[in-house]
Amino acid sequence: MALLNRMDWYDLARSTNWTPSYVSDGELFPAELSGDYGLPQGAWEKYDEPYKQTYPEYVKVQREKDAGAYSVKAALERSRIFENADPGWKSVMKAHYGAIARGEYAAASAEARMMRFSPAPGMRNMATLGCLDEIRHGQMQLYFPHEHVSKDRQMDWAFKAYDTNEWAMIAARHFFDDIMMTRDAISVSIMLTFSFETGFTNMQFLGLAADAAEAGDHTFANLISSIQTDESRHAQIGGPALKILIENGKKEEAQRRVDIAVWGAWKLFSVLTGPIMDYYTPLEHRKQSFKEFMEEWIVAQFERALTDMGLELPWYWEQFLADLGETHHGMHLGSYYWRPTVWWNPAAGVTPQERAWLEEKYPGWNDTWGQCWDVIIDNVVDGNMAKAYPETLPYVCNMCQLPILGTPGKKWNVKDYPLEYKGRLYHFGSEVDRWVFQQEPERYAGHLSIVDRFLAGMIQPMDLSGALQYMNIAPGECGDDAHNYAWAEVYRAMRAQRNAG
Amino acid sequence: MSAAASGQAYHNNMVGPIMRAGDLALAVIEAARIDNPDKEIFVDDKRAYLRIHAEQEMILRRETIEEELGRPFRMNDLEVDLSSFAGQIESQDNAVRFYFVKKI
Repeated sequence: MALLNRMDWYDLARSTNWTPSYVSDGELFPAELSGDYGLPQGAWEKYDEPYKQTYPEYVKVQREKDAGAYSVKAALERSRIFENADPGWKSVMKAHYGAIARGEYAAASAEARMMRFSPAPGMRNMATLGCLDEIRHGQMQLYFPHEHVSKDRQMDWAFKAYDTNEWAMIAARHFFDDIMMTRDAISVSIMLTFSFETGFTNMQFLGLAADAAEAGDHTFANLISSIQTDESRHAQIGGPALKILIENGKKEEAQRRVDIAVWGAWKLFSVLTGPIMDYYTPLEHRKQSFKEFMEEWIVAQFERALTDMGLELPWYWEQFLADLGETHHGMHLGSYYWRPTVWWNPAAGVTPQERAWLEEKYPGWNDTWGQCWDVIIDNVVDGNMAKAYPETLPYVCNMCQLPILGTPGKKWNVKDYPLEYKGRLYHFGSEVDRWVFQQEPERYAGHLSIVDRFLAGMIQPMDLSGALQYMNIAPGECGDDAHNYAWAEVYRAMRAQRNAG
Repeated sequence: MSAAASGQAYHNNMVGPIMRAGDLALAVIEAARIDNPDKEIFVDDKRAYLRIHAEQEMILRRETIEEELGRPFRMNDLEVDLSSFAGQIESQDNAVRFYFVKKI
């Protein structure tokens, strides 16, 4: 039997708009959920997805993908990769699964909103498949770490993290809630699929896969790169929506959404992806530096595609480029120092060889971040461990929910960007974070940062034990140095040699 | 650490697929060369993935990939290993096209 070519019937099959007779258009597509851009319905019917997929094709392709990912897992299950992995690499896996697995289910909900409420039929079709994709990602990224839960309690955070008030999780949730859980369908397509998924997910699911392959963790490399093949399709949901907005004189609205989402993604990746690529991944397995991956995926690929769609580079472009070499070093220093408050064991990553690599990739590292590490190293070598742990809280930004930081040493430039709104004083870590707040203050004003909660007496007792309890970090789960300070031995030996000499 | 150096990465016109490593990726590299005879094809092997790029536009035809693979291949099967791509994409029944509208 001769089959029609897909393109002979595709447009007709997904043209599912009709004129409602029992309800009004506004009831069928309420503004809160569908978006209110003042465009006639006809404008959205011109939506034409560039990456087309039908349901039968979807089922066939997804089956093949799953067969691949699960068979690699089965084949390598007895190879003891996890048991034999460097502790730094285990921390990469723990941070990844905890920060992401349950967020995939949240993303499924966001895709479902586009599936039901988007005024564009083509978007509804692609989001149906996108929703199924995100359910797949949630299931796989809970199933794959599950085999390790009995060996390591921190692996339980793959499931647990999203429900806790752990500080990094508050930051991740604040961002994802902002771009995908509390926006209309069109905004979700721009902020989640276009801004986040065509850009940043490549860092975590392909850049990190390159490191995983180098580290011999082929199960993980295969899993996350397989996930990204779904992303590369459904990430295309946002592009045609952007084009429609630009064609109908709504470029400013589109640009603002992109700028907000890209900045939030950048801050989250500076604390999640930066440290694991430049400090946790064993030196010999680092394919590239975090900054080089950012230049490859975000600067060269994503931002180039963004301008091709008719948008401008974000207004904070110069700031962003400068921060690429700096912010994540501060995030690493902070998350290492406050290591009891994370669900993984941060690797210090500051042996003399690793410092030489950092200095090569980030000229000036030793004169800035290195000076802080010198103090931590001296305390560890002296056995002065009380000084190598935190006593107070860092100040965190009321937008990204991450520590307010600058570059230490000769470049010391830390600065608070305050804003008073309706009698409350807010603090931001950058001009851009403050700008995001100012775009829609009521959206963010009610939120309390972890420090706000502490000062409000919501965390009792007001010390580290109270903080750990508040963050649901049970004994046996709280983070400590990944290598149990074995890396400090070389500095101890260097000092002994110096003293002897 | 200069921002100007990072900014340079933006000045490029490279388009094309980023494939998970495997036999499909190798077939796509060959198909890219055959289907884009006037273009230089750049391949950057990152072990877990391969960037397969050309300037401004690249076309991949189903028949060429099928021939290189030596087994039946439908255009949408590309997705099994298509992890990402640079540029914009256009799906056709028997081909896929990556392109930029603007040239920098």
